[in-house]
Amino acid sequence: MEFSLNEEQEMLKTMARDFLENECPKTFVRQMMEDDTGHSPELWKKMAEVGWLGLILPEEYGGSGMNFRDLSILCEEMGRAMMPGPYLSTLLLAGLPILSAGTDEQKSEFLPRIANGDAVFTLAVTERDGDFWAEGVQMKATRAGDDYILDGTKYFVPDARAADYIIVAARTRRSENPEEGITLFLVNTAEWGVYTAPLTTMDETRKQYQMVLTRVAVPSRYIIGEVDKGWQVLQDMSLKMTAALCAEMVGGGEWVLETTVNYAKERVQFGVPIGSFQVIKHKCADMYSALEYARSMMEAAAEAIREDNPEAPVLVSMAKSLCADAYRLITDHAVQVHGGIGFTWDHDLHLYFKRARADDTAFGDSIYHRELIAQSLD
Amino acid sequence: MVSEESERLAAFRQEVRDWLRANLPEGWGTPEYQPPERLTEEAQALGEEWTKKLYDAGYTGFGYPKEYGGIVRPREEIAIIREEMMRCGTPAGPMSQGLLMVAPTILAHGQEWQKKRFIPKILNGEESWCQGFSEPDAGSDLANVRTTAVRDGDEWVVNGQKVWTSNWKFADYGLLVVKTDPDAPRHRNLSYFIFDCNAPGFTRRPLRQMTGEAEFGEMFFDNMRIPHENLVGEFNRGWYVALTSLAAERSGGAGMAFVGAGTAVGTRRTLWGVETIVELAKNTRRRGKVVWDDPVFRQRIAQFAIEAECLRYSAMRAAARRRKGAEAGNDMSVGKNFSAEMRQRRGDMVLEMLGAYSQMVRGSTLAVDDGTWVYQMLRSRGATIEMGTSEINRNIIAERILGLPR
Repeated sequence: MEFSLNEEQEMLKTMARDFLENECPKTFVRQMMEDDTGHSPELWKKMAEVGWLGLILPEEYGGSGMNFRDLSILCEEMGRAMMPGPYLSTLLLAGLPILSAGTDEQKSEFLPRIANGDAVFTLAVTERDGDFWAEGVQMKATRAGDDYILDGTKYFVPDARAADYIIVAARTRRSENPEEGITLFLVNTAEWGVYTAPLTTMDETRKQYQMVLTRVAVPSRYIIGEVDKGWQVLQDMSLKMTAALCAEMVGGGEWVLETTVNYAKERVQFGVPIGSFQVIKHKCADMYSALEYARSMMEAAAEAIREDNPEAPVLVSMAKSLCADAYRLITDHAVQVHGGIGFTWDHDLHLYFKRARADDTAFGDSIYHRELIAQSLD
Repeated sequence: MVSEESERLAAFRQEVRDWLRANLPEGWGTPEYQPPERLTEEAQALGEEWTKKLYDAGYTGFGYPKEYGGIVRPREEIAIIREEMMRCGTPAGPMSQGLLMVAPTILAHGQEWQKKRFIPKILNGEESWCQGFSEPDAGSDLANVRTTAVRDGDEWVVNGQKVWTSNWKFADYGLLVVKTDPDAPRHRNLSYFIFDCNAPGFTRRPLRQMTGEAEFGEMFFDNMRIPHENLVGEFNRGWYVALTSLAAERSGGAGMAFVGAGTAVGTRRTLWGVETIVELAKNTRRRGKVVWDDPVFRQRIAQFAIEAECLRYSAMRAAARRRKGAEAGNDMSVGKNFSAEMRQRRGDMVLEMLGAYSQMVRGSTLAVDDGTWVYQMLRSRGATIEMGTSEINRNIIAERILGLPR
């Protein structure tokens, strides 16, 4: 495991920070919060130009061929900038399953379109029960000639309205083991019978939707991976997505810590900066320590993925629970240290406060991941 | 190339293993082996003897130049030595502040003769050290030292009292921060000395803690004389020398974790005794139910395992930063606080698992694991006080790392 960045990684980090400071100021974030799709085609095009959209895709498909640690560096900066839009949905949620399980034709058809920004993708797994798990996948896919007919409703689908294609997990067979019998279908959102409705969520920077599919016909050549074996395809993606969220949380936490410390230095009450009071100092020190430890675990998890280390799932679970706990603690303290201003809509803190909550529930909350760790100790 | 190197290291690992097997005390690692009682002369003698053996074999004394008795070896070999020692759980060294804080301080600030005279005998375990910083009126406010040293020719005459001295009993030498200028401003009125524990005018006595044992002691100086050549660092700048000692102590206090990458060895299961706690939870029933099946305890034990693992990676990150030239200093406060608070959480958690039996201490046949858990829980209360209270360390993080106003 390597904990310091090499020269290229340092460059990527600097470049990402500059790019996002220019292209993704908070005025832009707030504009996207008001937008129905939460997606800016202009920003998307620029991200394609700098090679981010295909960052970890192989060069033969128009990607940049970089590794997972590189991606985590970028995700940190995106979390810091509170970047909205379907980046993770396209590259990770949909891109990775196509890369790992797609046929040569599918990879040639879709991966270059991800990398060059030509199409936006996402993934629909979760249903009414709200959990990302095999048993929750109840949507039916019925064979009709060479097509499958999809019928049912998905919930919490990220970026569905920005997406041109959605990978939909549906049940092609009932079986004792809920992880068997799930198939992944690549659905064109322009098809008749695909209906999306925005969900009114706390975190408005990352849009989620309810998606109703009414007798949507999908040709079998758009099945990703084997029929009935779709759940297995999602495992590797899920691991990487979880680790990417950890990086995003660390990046966001860093912005919140810096903003709070700066405020504590400037805000004067009782004739002195509030940062000279020990109660404030100690809150800031706790925020710093929480961020340090979250970062250690996040980097270890990202390195484990890069190295293909068999311990990666354990480290990712450890990182997810630690990062989510840290991000919540950091945003809690930040609002308290800021006082009244931190409770307003106009201050940007609440964007991070809310993202911390949204990231905790995504891909297993802290309690879920701690239980996985307990099982690993058995 | 790679395979030649890995073959060489595999052979070296075998060599270390064989040496350990041949040199560990008779019966070591078997249930019959009775280690000497903590803080006794027997424990001290075993520690000295063991360190001497290790040193003669070239298995300790790393990180110091050869001319001061340091043992120089490739990093991979050092990692193997530490892993193999960790694997069989070797005896502890002598009770001494020597390795932890004295040698790093002398190396950084000492005169040449001091480095040559004292560091080798710290590394080989021959001489034990204690430290005299805290006083009854100088705890967290350490700069408020009252013990004085007045110059008399080539000597200094010391009067006063020190408290919370680790290894007070067996120390051959001590470090001392004393006031050498009654009129100079704070932080510029202290000097740092080495003193001989056999000097006339020096007395020591035990200080009993809530655990019942006297791990710490008090030291009294009644016209004790120190030669002028024992001054460490500049005259009246002892405060700054002491800061080095304190940072070194804190880094060691972060549970070995911050000494350097590769030293925090052990697997996910064995780090910080996680495996032992899981076993205990599996073998303990509360109201008829196995503790390990209780979701609340599962969450807490998992959280503890996560923190232990996290501390290890933070140590590796700190080591990576130092390799890039960053100074080891204020970030030690982060690790020290985290590990001290972890020790308390561990103690509390295990005692809650044990229920009524958490009351039974050493000496009772009903005590679980001979009262070790209760002892650890009580001892951990000192962890957030010694080496800078958690509050002082939070101030250090806030002021020196984050730059908040004093």
